[in-house]
Amino acid sequence: MGTIFSFGSYYPGTSLVHRLDPRTKLLGGLAFIVLVLTAHDWAGLAVVLAFVGVLYALARIPLHEALASLAPLMAIVVLASVLNLFVVQGGDVLLRLGPLVVSEGGVWSCCFVAARLALMMAGMSLVTLTTQTLDLTEALERLLAPLARFGVPAHEIGMIMGIALRFMPQFASELVNIYRAQVSRGAGRGSALARARMLPALMVPLFTSVFRHAETLACAMDARCYHGGAGRTRLHPLRFSALDVAALVLLVVFAVCLITVNVVF
Amino acid sequence: MPASSASRGADGASGGAVQPAIACHGVSFSHDGVTRALDGVDLTIAPGEFVCLLGGNGSGKSTLARHLNALLVPDEGVVEIEGRDTARPENVLPIRACTGMVFQNPDDQLVASLIEGDIAFGPENLGIESTEIAARVEAALREVGLQGFGAREVHALSGGQKQRVAIAGILAMRPRILVLDEATSMLDPRGRRGLMRLLHELNEGGMTIVMITHLMDEAAEASRVVLLERGRIVADGAPGDVLTRTELLARQHLEPPCSVRLAAALAQEGIEVAPYVDEGEAAVSIAAAVRRMHRSQDGGLRLSRACSATHRGAACAATAHKTRALLSFDHVFYSYLDRARRRRHERRRAKVGDDRAWGASPDAVWALADVSFEVYAGEFLGIAGHTGSGKSTLIQLMNALIAPEQGCVIVDGVASAGRTGAEHARQLVGVVFQYPEHQLFAPTVLEDVAFGPRNLGCTDAEARERARRALERVGLDAAHIGDVSPFELSGGQQRRAAIAGVIAMEPRVLVLDEPTAGLDPASRRELLGLLDELNRAGTTIVMVSHVMEDLAAHCGRIVVLREGTVACAGTPDDIFSGACDLAASGLDIPATERLARRIAEQGVSLAQRAYLDEQSLARGIAAACGAGGDA
Repeated sequence: MGTIFSFGSYYPGTSLVHRLDPRTKLLGGLAFIVLVLTAHDWAGLAVVLAFVGVLYALARIPLHEALASLAPLMAIVVLASVLNLFVVQGGDVLLRLGPLVVSEGGVWSCCFVAARLALMMAGMSLVTLTTQTLDLTEALERLLAPLARFGVPAHEIGMIMGIALRFMPQFASELVNIYRAQVSRGAGRGSALARARMLPALMVPLFTSVFRHAETLACAMDARCYHGGAGRTRLHPLRFSALDVAALVLLVVFAVCLITVNVVF
Repeated sequence: MPASSASRGADGASGGAVQPAIACHGVSFSHDGVTRALDGVDLTIAPGEFVCLLGGNGSGKSTLARHLNALLVPDEGVVEIEGRDTARPENVLPIRACTGMVFQNPDDQLVASLIEGDIAFGPENLGIESTEIAARVEAALREVGLQGFGAREVHALSGGQKQRVAIAGILAMRPRILVLDEATSMLDPRGRRGLMRLLHELNEGGMTIVMITHLMDEAAEASRVVLLERGRIVADGAPGDVLTRTELLARQHLEPPCSVRLAAALAQEGIEVAPYVDEGEAAVSIAAAVRRMHRSQDGGLRLSRACSATHRGAACAATAHKTRALLSFDHVFYSYLDRARRRRHERRRAKVGDDRAWGASPDAVWALADVSFEVYAGEFLGIAGHTGSGKSTLIQLMNALIAPEQGCVIVDGVASAGRTGAEHARQLVGVVFQYPEHQLFAPTVLEDVAFGPRNLGCTDAEARERARRALERVGLDAAHIGDVSPFELSGGQQRRAAIAGVIAMEPRVLVLDEPTAGLDPASRRELLGLLDELNRAGTTIVMVSHVMEDLAAHCGRIVVLREGTVACAGTPDDIFSGACDLAASGLDIPATERLARRIAEQGVSLAQRAYLDEQSLARGIAAACGAGGDA
């Protein structure tokens, strides 16, 4: 059941990637996105694929876990690539469906965008797979801390993110339960209208559940002396180590390879 | 700081005047400014006490609990925790650091994804040094019996395990007072027993425990019981004094413990015994009474011994006419893992070791293995099993939400496999899932109930008519609440409305998963009465539950699940007479039967195989007296 929606779930481990400082992973993830956006052909993507593959191997995350965590994001990939299929024009026209025109360029762009987005998500999902939510939030908070003097609520943003990630698998499994109950009441059968009717039957209970949880969670946090970020310590304080330097080197190697490939091809 | 106040408490003890752990003086509080949730509560709790706060819905027990942690501050009066006034802002953090609070829903109170991260949350808020936090996390894990689980994910735990993590998170803050707000009400018997054992251990170690509950078995284990009624304390004393005050409890819709109810039933049979809360003491006093009766040779007590299984017949007469199986499971297997993953999990499980001692293992390979049983038209079947015994899988199979991997599920002669089979199964079998009120969504009650019929293709008028009928059948007045938002109903009403939503589809079999979970005793009794009524009116009912008293009192037959297999099946008498090893399935025997066995141990010979309600046990005891008189 948990595998239906596992984006954001932590995959416990003690690999090199797990032991990296979460700040490194967060910033590295950002740099990775920017770098992947510079890849403009298949050779570039091949370099990205190799890099992502090495990272997953270093993190010791089995292939099926990696794919399971990506599955729910595929909707975005499909949507983006289908848009490209129709919007991008160039080369021979392959198909004409009324106002919709599919051209060679569109097909190429569709495949390329799908591959690029999928790789990008695989990279980002590695961050959440190898980092505990509270570490991620701590990293975000520490990275945003310099902005606190300009009124950015750094600690609060971090906390909100962490709790959202903690509850994601929970709401996913609640959604599965609600879905089962409504299907056994005959929902979502037959016509498109019936399927449309199903949506509020899923969403209203889910949102009520969110509010119900939020109310007690706030109380439970108060009861455990939560009073904002001031004076908080950490079970595992963030510390950069030699590992983070190694990660930086790896990222630079990746960047150099990618840029070289981009320039050469 | 906490340490200094502890030593102050100890000094106070040696000086004779013990500083109370909790002192409430004239506490009044109102949520809305109109009605008082608390109305002049005076309560002093000494360090090391194990106090149960008892009360029905709206008695103010939860409101009082929240005052003990400075989550609420009284409108009038004073609450002092170890001498600190909760109304003073500077006291709030020290009070919360020494008073831990465990809430009802295990899913609501854990903040982090990993167990160790969550346990560290409190100490982190207190600004404790990292190495010290790590040591405290280890110690807390050991105390709640979860050592070595620090790196596990919170999400994969059972309810009982989550409550243990919540307690560990509090222990890591080194509190001296623990407040539990109905913390066991969402757990199964195994999780509940484990939690109670843990609380007693902590209490023996000096922790003051305040437990809010409406479960009598738990209250009986406390050292002191405080009964609240409409915001006032109406009784305060040892369990033996408070829990025997039957009318006072009845006013709060609370049922006295089984041994006290038995004393009342015995009085009706002409046998006077003092009510005892402790079952061992009750058994001894009843046995003594029986021996007294023998000596007095009272012939008037010769009562018929024919009080055997027929007594319960009224509740589920249907067992007799096993016309044909309406629903049958034939050697059904089901697993959530595909074959390759199954092998890997087996290996991993062998490596980690079996941890089922404190709950169901999430790595169990087969959810169901070789399950066969039948449901006959018109019967009231019970399915008993603890969390993880495979009951939720079983329910999904009945409703064709999933298909068996091997074996068949046959609904009214048609296998539920394939698309048409599944449609057929869904039409005939209505499923009420756990906490069904969480699935309410429509703007009005009537609309929500009409959702099912509409999906079946009924016209608007027909769907509304069916919804109206279904609401009447669950005892809700359609004209009165049909146009009200379902979210405005009370908890018990919401559950009835949700059940009406399934009944409106007019299924022949109604399957209910833990229908009474989380309800207070009054709504629970009402709901079970409703199920009996529906059954009498011809609906076949399958009730999945781990409350053995409910199963014993309402079902004609019971199937006991253990680790995904059928452990035993038969009438309640068969199941509870000792033939079925319920303890191995993580289940209890009903309290009356437990008491009957204890009385039998005291040398009173009881004729019946199993006693499942106090009236029949009282008659059995009376009969034993009569039999003795003859000899």
